[in-house]
Amino acid sequence: MTCDGEVHEKTMTIGNQLGLHARVATMMVQAMRNFSCHVTVVKDGVEVDAKSVLGLLLLAATPGSQILVRAQGPDSVKAIEEIRRLVEHQEPNAN
Amino acid sequence: MPDSNNNRINILVKGIGVSGGVAIGQAVLVERLTSELAPRWIINAEDVPREVQRFEEAVETAVDRLKTIKNHIQPQHPLGNHTYILDTHILLLQDRMFYEGTKKYIASELVNAEWAVAEVVGKITATFDTIEDEYLKERARDIYFVGERVMRNLMGLSSQTKIHQMPPNSIIISHDLSPADTAQIKRESVLAFAIDMGGRTSHTAIMARSLKIPAVTGLENISHRIQAGDKIVVDGSTGVVIVHPDPDTIFRYRERQEIYRKYQESLMTFGRLPAVTRDGSHPVRIAANIEFVDEIEMAVNHGSEGIGLFRTEYLFMGRQDLPSEDEQYEAYRQVIAYNAPSPVTIRTLDAGADKIATSLNVAPESNPALGMRAIRLCLGHPDLFKTQLRAVLRAAAHGNCRIMLPMISCLTELLAAKEIIEEVKSELAAAGKQFQPKVKLGLLLEVPSAVAIADLLAKEVDFFSIGTNDLIQYALAIDRVNEHVNYLYDTLHPAVLRMIRHVSRVGEARGIPVGMCGEMAGDPVNVPILLGLGFADLSMNPLAIPMVKKLIRSVSMDECLELTRQAFEMSEARPIHEFLEAWLRERFPYDYFLDYAGAAA
Repeated sequence: MTCDGEVHEKTMTIGNQLGLHARVATMMVQAMRNFSCHVTVVKDGVEVDAKSVLGLLLLAATPGSQILVRAQGPDSVKAIEEIRRLVEHQEPNAN
Repeated sequence: MPDSNNNRINILVKGIGVSGGVAIGQAVLVERLTSELAPRWIINAEDVPREVQRFEEAVETAVDRLKTIKNHIQPQHPLGNHTYILDTHILLLQDRMFYEGTKKYIASELVNAEWAVAEVVGKITATFDTIEDEYLKERARDIYFVGERVMRNLMGLSSQTKIHQMPPNSIIISHDLSPADTAQIKRESVLAFAIDMGGRTSHTAIMARSLKIPAVTGLENISHRIQAGDKIVVDGSTGVVIVHPDPDTIFRYRERQEIYRKYQESLMTFGRLPAVTRDGSHPVRIAANIEFVDEIEMAVNHGSEGIGLFRTEYLFMGRQDLPSEDEQYEAYRQVIAYNAPSPVTIRTLDAGADKIATSLNVAPESNPALGMRAIRLCLGHPDLFKTQLRAVLRAAAHGNCRIMLPMISCLTELLAAKEIIEEVKSELAAAGKQFQPKVKLGLLLEVPSAVAIADLLAKEVDFFSIGTNDLIQYALAIDRVNEHVNYLYDTLHPAVLRMIRHVSRVGEARGIPVGMCGEMAGDPVNVPILLGLGFADLSMNPLAIPMVKKLIRSVSMDECLELTRQAFEMSEARPIHEFLEAWLRERFPYDYFLDYAGAAA
């Protein structure tokens, strides 16, 4: 079950107006399901599974807050890049 | 002895006994999730796979349903942009915290799936509450909706199945039960109710009495003090609930149960006798209030002469659609034909307030008791009203039927309703249908304004019936299910007595009969005054009939007139109540002790 390989980490800032909200969390979980690596998101010392929408929402990552994405597995780098694309993207009318 | 970690025995909790009798059984906790019930019970270890499977299936059904909904939304639909929220809900359903968390909870706590869902959802939403960001905090609603969807599937609410079956010998413990909840409870497995909220006249109490189920209300926080599976004793006569009874206590209550049963049997003989005062001067017609067609036999067995109030809204409750004309016709026909030639008074739809039928899609109101309900709802939805009237007028051909309009507050409403009734008659005649065109029309007087203009309304109708439950609530401005103010709800408030006297006098002056079909009529403490005010038409919960007949047969009109005179000299509810109760205790000590002490406390 455990993914072998190097652990990749990247710190990023929440770019959109509403924070890591339902839409982004949903898109993130849907995207992460296509990756085989183990991905977590850390904020204020709390680490949650990036494939759990509840976990992501409970991080309460508000706009401008910083998160750390940690991935381990074959497609780690691509997964982190995908998350960065999602959270740093500024959506004007996010809901 | 007790099987929970609470090792105390014989914990006594005192509430208000609202429906007589003794029950000894197992506590089942029922919590309201929105409008519905989440039944709770303890399971055995071998039942865990079954409960887990029920949960998995409920989630699968919920996911399928959400996917179907999503697929039916076209991209150009105004919602098209927001369908992601459906994806969010699907992911929430599949989320480990919820999905695995619930399964784990079932296995570790040995509880049914509904209970586990309620607990897990509760825990997750509580975590959201700690979030400061308002938008993210709001996401608690999403997990709540998701939980509700699963709960509905578990309880089979999307289909026509009623509330999930309770295990046998269940005693329902709840913070509050709506009439809709109560209506769905299966009599064969439920022995009693013990409820935090409510008083003697809450609809739950009324329904418990008509279901012949012992019930205690006003227990404040019993739903937190009792655990599912606890053994408990409920004494609906004295309002006592005992948690973890020891064998001695159980033995005593088994004895009491037997005494109560024998007493009820002896009382039944009075049901068969005519209700006339001892001096023979004042015969009273005692009819029954019913809500279900299958109560007619019980009503007659208890001595009713006709039905003084048939609450038709129960035909509309606990279902998604509206009952058809033929379905309603069949229900009314059965009740009318069974009671012929005694009259059956059919109250037109009185949905609204705490009785709202989900099928009517009534918008939430901040104050439903003063909102779109009863005749207002019917005048606002003429099709709904006409369907019911067609059914009643057709059924009326099978016996002696009267129509009664609820909640009339002014003459305009009455005239509008009469116009619709005439229209329906012409339509039925034009269609060549068999119906009874000469049905008597009456008013349920329950709004203080209608009482004040009783003389103006009397010209337009054939009879009045006083609906005391709502009349008292409106006249005294007291919500009878609000546990903080319902101590002020008193049938014997001088204002209530004066309003009743006024209507009685108007009826006499205008030559139209005045009856009473509120709970007030079935409570022995009030009966001497009602006789003293000249009432000769009382309708009540069928179970109350034998005792009321016994009382009427034991008193003389002189005695009633004297009690009435004295009561009208008093200026506060409590002394009047105490005065009449003292009289009752002295005249009927045995009945008072067995069936009344708790109820009056």
